[in-house]
Amino acid sequence: MAAYSKITPEIAEQLRAVVGKRFYVGGEVDPNYSHDEMPIYGKYMPEAAVDAETTEEVSAVMKICAANKIPVTCRGAGTGLVGGCVPLAGGLVLCTRRMNKILEYDMDNLVVRLQPGVLLKDLAADAQSRGLMYPPDPGEKTATVGGNISTNAGGMRAVKYGVTRDYVLALTVVLADGRIIELGKSVCKTSSGYSLLHLMIGSEGTLGIITEMTLKLIPSPICDVSCLVPFRDVESCIRSVPKIKLANLDPQSIEFMDADIVTSSAAFTGNPIFPERVRNEDVGASVLVTFTGYDEDELDQKMIKLGEIAKEADALDVLVVATSSNKKSAWAARSSFLTAIEADTKLIDEMDVVVPVDKIPAFLIYIRALGDELGIRIRNFGHAGDGNLHIYCCSNELEEEEFKRRVKIIMDRAYTKCAELEGQVSGEHSIGHAKMVYLRESVGEDVFELMRQIKAVFDPDGILNPGKVCDSTLAERA
Amino acid sequence: MLNILVCVKQIPDIDLVKMDPETGNLVRAGVPTLTNPLDLNALEAAVQVKERYGGKITLITMGPPMAESTLRECLAVGGDEAVLISGRPFGGADTLSTSYSIVMAAAMRGKFDLIFCGKESMDGATGQMASQLAERFDAAQISCCLSVDAVGDGKIRATRALETGREIVEATLPCLITVEKDRFFGRLPNLEAYLAAKKAEITVYTENEIEGLDLQKIGVPGSGTIVPKIYPPELPEPGQIIRTGSARSDVGRLLELLAEKGAL
Repeated sequence: MAAYSKITPEIAEQLRAVVGKRFYVGGEVDPNYSHDEMPIYGKYMPEAAVDAETTEEVSAVMKICAANKIPVTCRGAGTGLVGGCVPLAGGLVLCTRRMNKILEYDMDNLVVRLQPGVLLKDLAADAQSRGLMYPPDPGEKTATVGGNISTNAGGMRAVKYGVTRDYVLALTVVLADGRIIELGKSVCKTSSGYSLLHLMIGSEGTLGIITEMTLKLIPSPICDVSCLVPFRDVESCIRSVPKIKLANLDPQSIEFMDADIVTSSAAFTGNPIFPERVRNEDVGASVLVTFTGYDEDELDQKMIKLGEIAKEADALDVLVVATSSNKKSAWAARSSFLTAIEADTKLIDEMDVVVPVDKIPAFLIYIRALGDELGIRIRNFGHAGDGNLHIYCCSNELEEEEFKRRVKIIMDRAYTKCAELEGQVSGEHSIGHAKMVYLRESVGEDVFELMRQIKAVFDPDGILNPGKVCDSTLAERA
Repeated sequence: MLNILVCVKQIPDIDLVKMDPETGNLVRAGVPTLTNPLDLNALEAAVQVKERYGGKITLITMGPPMAESTLRECLAVGGDEAVLISGRPFGGADTLSTSYSIVMAAAMRGKFDLIFCGKESMDGATGQMASQLAERFDAAQISCCLSVDAVGDGKIRATRALETGREIVEATLPCLITVEKDRFFGRLPNLEAYLAAKKAEITVYTENEIEGLDLQKIGVPGSGTIVPKIYPPELPEPGQIIRTGSARSDVGRLLELLAEKGAL
């Protein structure tokens, strides 16, 4: 395994010749490029960075880096949670934030072509202004869409519409050696050989650099309503989820929140939209269910059916989020969960497991007991409709080293439990470098080796995002 | 049993309203409406009083027929009956004629012990209605209410916010109360109440159905103010945040800008 090279003044000049003033070296590099939103996984500064603006620039940069064996870590908005965009091997950070143009809409085929640095919130708003919806709805709206594709981000609407992967029709990708390839077409179906398109989606910048995307859109729903269904405890709350899914109500999302996160969010946003007590009883956990429809009558019928299910499931009540003000407040509160945790927590680590829906209570009970045993505060919320749980290990009291020691014990045991429950390591945050060891345990050596071989086909010198997903060779290159 | 009146207003979604640059008028056509958020705080305060001391809440608003949706929203979270004052002659009213119309219509529903109002409306934001209503109802007024501490024996005791602290006040009924929003967050309706409110009967009073109404005191003729022109305030030149990607280039750009302005 060959060692990586450093960026010499000569290489720097070559890179500067490609992107001009958008090349930064040494102290010019934005220090934020050393981390994502989970700094507990460590900070690693690159030697240099470029802000790319075109596919051709990315290609030229990659040719220089491939010729000189310079590691390249692609980065969008840096909102990841597993250290995916962190330049572990130094080298060059290639930032796509300036590639932020929505290039064109094809209203006949309901597709949009855009650059990877467009923010999710900007795409959503722009599509909405045309009566269209981009269905994937990850909680982090300031992420880039390119980042969403690189991690196959999911989000709250996955129950009904699926995840990012389901909306990617075509990609322009720059390979490790600088070649530009086109994957996929603007067609609704394909049965045309191995899907390299889908291999690229979720590959976290380890197989190529996405420089242009064609995405599928749908007409915006005409109207929507959400219902908050509070329960006394987590178990009865989660038991209602399969019943809601089976009732043919076609919910857009079924979000889970426990009492603790509701309290944090209310304190953070200053708006207690989700009640902590209902009918004189403490709320242990709630689901927030969203329906879409053609008119209010259709939504009313769905809510009436939901009311029947809630009653059978021993819910405390069904509360309606129908007005624009309440919708704004409810979704602002729901979107604030992670920020609320970050705001009042000194040390934080997270896992993003996905388990079969009926196994959610078993996993939550297990992880809470682990937290109690090790003196780590566990906070959680997630997508009850698809079994994807965001679990945060928090402490304000421990020193960082002790926190890391205890959290490692929790993580090791929790991912083992996740495997026992037939779950997966990550539902939507991806692997990065933080979860690689758990991926390896989860998929087994044969599958992990296949992943490594695939990586080697695309990137024989291992210069693309070293140390991530299945690349465990970093130590050998040091 | 307490007879409680809550005054509410339907307003355009203020985030979406634009001003016609030529006429200076607010362009409301096609803009979604919402219930004035501060009125929902007042309603929540009233509902809490009703839950503690018993009573009936009557909702009242003045506006076009579509203002019914605001009344139904309020019925779903604790209102018992609703009155809509609607008719062309009421149009163009300022606070003087609106408060007159509301008091005259409310009189059709009996005498009220407590009247709750939002601090102001988010669109007009005059903040005049509550005081005018208190005067016309011949009621005491407690503004900036933080909590209603006791109601009974024809009196109310409440805590109100002052700039320098708090004040506990007692007033005889009838009493009009405006509330501090952070103390009375509106609740979500439950499904049963939400669906019932959709079918609830709403009393509509036109100018012909309000006893003793003086048509010269409503709408434009009854207004004491004239609005000759509406225009947006002149805003200072917005600041500029330099974010080029690195501190070094940020400073470089700053120096360029300062040089352009002749400051260097």
